[in-house]
Amino acid sequence: MTPLDYLLLLSLLTVVIALVAGHRSMGGVWLTFTYAAQLGGLMLMAGLTNQPDVITSSLSFTILGQSLTWRYDALSWYFALITISAGLLSTMYTAGDWGEKFRADGGNLWLLHVAIALNVLSMLILLGSGDLLTLFIGWELVSWASFLLMILAGGPSIQAAIRYITYAMGGAMAILAGLALIYGHTDSFTYPAAANILHSLSTAHLWAPLLLLTLGFGVKMALLPLHLWQAAAYAHTPGPGAAFLGAISSRMGLYALIVVLIQLVGLVRVIELPVLFSFISARDVLAWVAAFTIIFPTFTALRQNDARMLLAWHGIGQGGYMLLGLVMGDALGSAGGLMHVFNHATYQAALFFSVAAVVYRTGTADLNRLGGLVARMPLSFLAMLVGIIGLAGLPPMNGFVSKWLVYRSLMLEGEPLLFVAAVVGTLGTILSVYKLIHNMFLGQLRVEHENIREAPWSMTAPMLILSVVVFVTGLMPGLVLQWIAGIQATVGLPVIDYSLGGLDSAQGSLDMLWVVGVLFAGFGIGAVLFYSGGRTHRVHQLDNYAGGHFLSADIRYHYSDNFYPGLMRLIGPLYRYSFAWLESAVQSGLGLLSLSTQGFYRRVAPANYALVTAVLVLLWVML
Amino acid sequence: MDALHILIELTLMPLVAFVVGLFMVLMMRRIAARIQRRVGPPLLQPLYDILKLYGKQTQISHGILHDIGIIMAVGGYIAAETMLPVPGMNGIADKAGLITLAYVLMVPSLGLALGVGQCANPNGSIGISRALTAMLAYDIPFVIVIFGVAWQAGSNNLVDIIALQQVDGIASWGIVQTPLLAFAGLFALHAILGKHPFEIYIAPAEIATGPMVEMGGKYLGGLFVMQCFQLYTAGVIYTSLFLGGGENWLTFLVKSFAVVAVPICIAYLFPRFRTEDVVRLVWKWPVMLGLIGIAFVMN
Amino acid sequence: MNQIVLIVVLPLLAAFLVPIVARMSASLGAALGPLVMGVCLWITGTVAIESAGNAFAINIGGFMPPLGITFFVDRLALLFAFLTALLVLVLWPFQGEHRPREHALTLILAAASGGLALSGDLFNIYVFYELVSVASFGLVATGRRSSAPAIRYLILSGFGSVLALVGIALVYTQTGTLNLAHLSQLAPTHLINPIGLAAFALILLGVGVKAELFPVNTWVPEVYATAPNRVSALLAGLVSKLAALVILRLLVLVFAQEQALLVMLLLGLLGVITGELAAWRAQDMNRMLAYSSIGQLGMVFVAFSIPGETGVFAGLAIALHHLVVKPALFLLAARWGGALSGLAGAAGGNLPAALLFTLFALSLVGVPPLPGFWAKLLLVMGLAEQVGPLYHFALAGILIATVVEANYLFRIVSTLFHRDSPASPAPQKHSGGDIATAGLFGASLIAAVLLLIPLSQSLKTIAQQTADAAAYRAVVTLAPTTSTLGDTQ
Repeated sequence: MTPLDYLLLLSLLTVVIALVAGHRSMGGVWLTFTYAAQLGGLMLMAGLTNQPDVITSSLSFTILGQSLTWRYDALSWYFALITISAGLLSTMYTAGDWGEKFRADGGNLWLLHVAIALNVLSMLILLGSGDLLTLFIGWELVSWASFLLMILAGGPSIQAAIRYITYAMGGAMAILAGLALIYGHTDSFTYPAAANILHSLSTAHLWAPLLLLTLGFGVKMALLPLHLWQAAAYAHTPGPGAAFLGAISSRMGLYALIVVLIQLVGLVRVIELPVLFSFISARDVLAWVAAFTIIFPTFTALRQNDARMLLAWHGIGQGGYMLLGLVMGDALGSAGGLMHVFNHATYQAALFFSVAAVVYRTGTADLNRLGGLVARMPLSFLAMLVGIIGLAGLPPMNGFVSKWLVYRSLMLEGEPLLFVAAVVGTLGTILSVYKLIHNMFLGQLRVEHENIREAPWSMTAPMLILSVVVFVTGLMPGLVLQWIAGIQATVGLPVIDYSLGGLDSAQGSLDMLWVVGVLFAGFGIGAVLFYSGGRTHRVHQLDNYAGGHFLSADIRYHYSDNFYPGLMRLIGPLYRYSFAWLESAVQSGLGLLSLSTQGFYRRVAPANYALVTAVLVLLWVML
Repeated sequence: MDALHILIELTLMPLVAFVVGLFMVLMMRRIAARIQRRVGPPLLQPLYDILKLYGKQTQISHGILHDIGIIMAVGGYIAAETMLPVPGMNGIADKAGLITLAYVLMVPSLGLALGVGQCANPNGSIGISRALTAMLAYDIPFVIVIFGVAWQAGSNNLVDIIALQQVDGIASWGIVQTPLLAFAGLFALHAILGKHPFEIYIAPAEIATGPMVEMGGKYLGGLFVMQCFQLYTAGVIYTSLFLGGGENWLTFLVKSFAVVAVPICIAYLFPRFRTEDVVRLVWKWPVMLGLIGIAFVMN
Repeated sequence: MNQIVLIVVLPLLAAFLVPIVARMSASLGAALGPLVMGVCLWITGTVAIESAGNAFAINIGGFMPPLGITFFVDRLALLFAFLTALLVLVLWPFQGEHRPREHALTLILAAASGGLALSGDLFNIYVFYELVSVASFGLVATGRRSSAPAIRYLILSGFGSVLALVGIALVYTQTGTLNLAHLSQLAPTHLINPIGLAAFALILLGVGVKAELFPVNTWVPEVYATAPNRVSALLAGLVSKLAALVILRLLVLVFAQEQALLVMLLLGLLGVITGELAAWRAQDMNRMLAYSSIGQLGMVFVAFSIPGETGVFAGLAIALHHLVVKPALFLLAARWGGALSGLAGAAGGNLPAALLFTLFALSLVGVPPLPGFWAKLLLVMGLAEQVGPLYHFALAGILIATVVEANYLFRIVSTLFHRDSPASPAPQKHSGGDIATAGLFGASLIAAVLLLIPLSQSLKTIAQQTADAAAYRAVVTLAPTTSTLGDTQ
């Protein structure tokens, strides 16, 4: 029995407990403990981050002449850490009052527990894949487990989940085709064999498997133009489920892309691989796909009026930073991309938790039906504030550090346009998240929300834990960067030269300890200056006036809808929904084809076909 | 560098910034007065204004976040000043390069935005919406300029960038080496300062001074301090990027004041643009020039 | 071991006895059919154990091949004989009023199917094939709304028989024999030519009618939609596989040439694509399952068109998987007729049925670790190993079709579990027997997951034996002639 066996068994045990006790009121608490145990099991393997080593599982089969093996290395460990933590905190969140309310509202709490446990298990299996076949199997398991989580709420989530599974199956089949092409050359699914053959393939032959695999794994990452499914599918998942999915689910695509692009093909090859009839390389294509994945979804998020949709769209956009950093391939960029996985998971989960808390109290996530909740739900506000600063990538939160690394990499690699694209994404994010926090927590309080209280501790505790993590890893990014350095050494990337506060470099370093320290010292001085001024007089939250009129609370004057009218007058016409149009065009085309095939089968005189075919075949034979 | 030394620097740099900023405000008001054929305020008027505002009796607070917003706005700038090298003092500039500075400068805006949001005045919210839109507009040419300068210098450390420009006198200044970037930077700088014709988020006649609508007493005083810092920061960043920084305090101050004076002189000649026109204008010329500038730099 | 012949004889005999016995004692008549099938099952089992996997041939009447009638018994034949008996037994119309005619027809179908599995010469195959046709017309026509589709089926089937007969005649003119082993010997000299190919094409189209081969499968949707669901299950599950088995035997033994494989590949691929596409817009569950069945059989043909043991392995895996899944789905669809939208919330009324449906849908789409995945993986691996753009094209077609399949199947699954529309009347409950039978299929699917490694190994052995034409020839020509039908009785 290796530590990996323990981990997988613990995860399996969690699923069993969810199945047996998920419907009990204490079930969530027990599950929380088992997730904690999984985290403990993972810590047994923490040595992986220090040296390029693998821990194999004693579980292995030989089926159809192919051996299936599972093993963990630093990369798996890092993703597994995020996965289990997301499962742990989501379950903790669900375990208390949120779950009770969910059940009271007719939700299936048992299924939610089971689905999250299954998701964690399947992700752990995927992360342990030791050859291409187990990678595919794990991939499919993850896809269907997320499908279960997405669909269990019923209602509008069904449409979204079906859309998801169609995209996911399309991706899976593309992957299978890519694997088949590799298998056709090697008769084997092992990583070394695949790496060998991918190294020796000619440019023209490398493109097909590379494209298929990237597209397939890119579906999960929601890379453009395969992104349409994600926002709705995540947003309609019940609160903690959405947090779980938003935190880690689509990053499985990144894990698989790292395996393929960096471990198997090798980034050097990708950089050198030219696109036919042009002067750009495969790396450029990937980088620009990532850049567009940053920009378009971010600006789509800007137009959302549902908090969960807004966050989910940002989740897509942030995935672009990860890929962008990664394909830059240098120490800084890849570290930024990898670190952003962790950072994004932490703040995104905190944000979803906070939104779910607001939904728990008010019953809506509609950004036009909220406002002024800061005084009512200060802890949720705090979590959201920390979260949005992280999401927007501003100091002092962790999102800043990972984005900084990506920016630096783009600057050092001399990619001005990609750099601008990345910054445009960040600016769009700032606009969008301010709208989020303003419309929910700032501005006018609605009368019907005057008496609501802060969410219970079972819900605020997870989000505050995450907020602390977001802040601490922003203050001391070295904590995460040590894992990243381990990954880089394992997968064969240049290793980042990190320090506890960030990065030491002759070309411009970053020391977050100093930056954050100075920032808070500045705040301290600001506070001293402020409080040394005259005494303030606190007015009631509903005591407002505008344009010389006193406003009573029942008059709605919260500025929320169409928050950026000036900007929208300019860029509004650019929203053409081309991807949605493309999707519906494919759908209509398919429908047309389907109708015509049905027409074929509905013909009244079917024997004619047989006759015609027989004659045709005979003609072919004779000629 | 021992701890005491750096502590002194960290204390002095914001102080210097504040004092210089006060004089920049004075200069701004004097220039405006001259253009409008007025005399303008006396030397210490900005200081008097701040003291007056801090000492007011009516100080309306709309909640704790209202207060924190002002603290963040002032504190963020105080922090940012320690990352801007001045002659003889580098502060923590080498621990936080240009990009960090650019993003730290967003913290005060975020603080202000939060504080204004808590006030629940629609005019304030509209002002923030416009301010953020303006930020989306001017930050794009701004980061293009940052990229170009950092590429030219091979570093994003302001200390290195300044040192490189002081090697060879005026000929090595950024404005000579990369005139297109320098022009784009000046354009962006003007928009960053938010003066006419980019004054969309104050717009007294439209939205009753926007973010400031619920600010009185020391809240407004805080914003006044913030403005001092803002002018100083803008002037010094541009000086450091394109004018070779300060060889000594004299040239440093002259250059910084000159930089700030340029947009201010232009500002009072223009009316206010509409929001979308600001975005369109800023996305067109400075971005185009900046990109061409980068193309020159990178070849 | 010669008692294997009984699996053809006994049901045939019983088929004629059922109406007579039923007239004397209704309960005895009702019990006769299942009893006989049980005996067949037992016989097949004992023969399988006795033969220990070694192929042997039986020359009925003691005439040596190529003159006599030959039954060829290898692992594959035994497997299908066993599955025939088992499936007929499981899908036996226990419920409802006792109808001797239905029982008799089912028994004839069983006998003919067993014959198809065992036959070692073309003429016998043709005879049993016709017998299957007759029995299935009768069964199809028992449905209340199925007279028009049944006639259509009849016409097409008759036409197919003619084509097949012409093809067989062509073969005979070329070689002067119909014994498969003998043909296999003569094929390299006599049949690797355009006429041989034409014969194959004609036989393929003829037998393809039952095997749901494109384009002679146009009867499928209407018949499956209107026939009683147990009959649909039997046709889709069993009969189509036996027809495919015949084609496989011919392909391996007689027509092992490139063009023949090419025709199969093309028609199979067209079947996959048209079937899945048509299913995508199907308006009721039976038709959808029918179209999906066309797609699955298309995949079997694509698999068989891969030369060598790989193709046989993959094709058998897909066929067997389909044989388990599709009958169960048809049983579940029995009470879920009508428009698909009417099924909203059906899971609320019958959770086990909905869960089983989900399980089968998952396996059909090919979600690991369910058997459907491994079958599909075999096919993918087989296609990938082939060079030639057409095979890769087929691979792409199959994978795309899988996406379409996943979409429509899970649209239905989500409709079943949809809770938010209480307005629609709840669909009828399933009969306990249907659920139990479907559960049995489901259990065997799960068991297959657990026994995946031994199962895949034994299937591989079967495929090896099947693909070995030389061994087939050796067994038949060396067969002892001592045993006759009379001896065993």
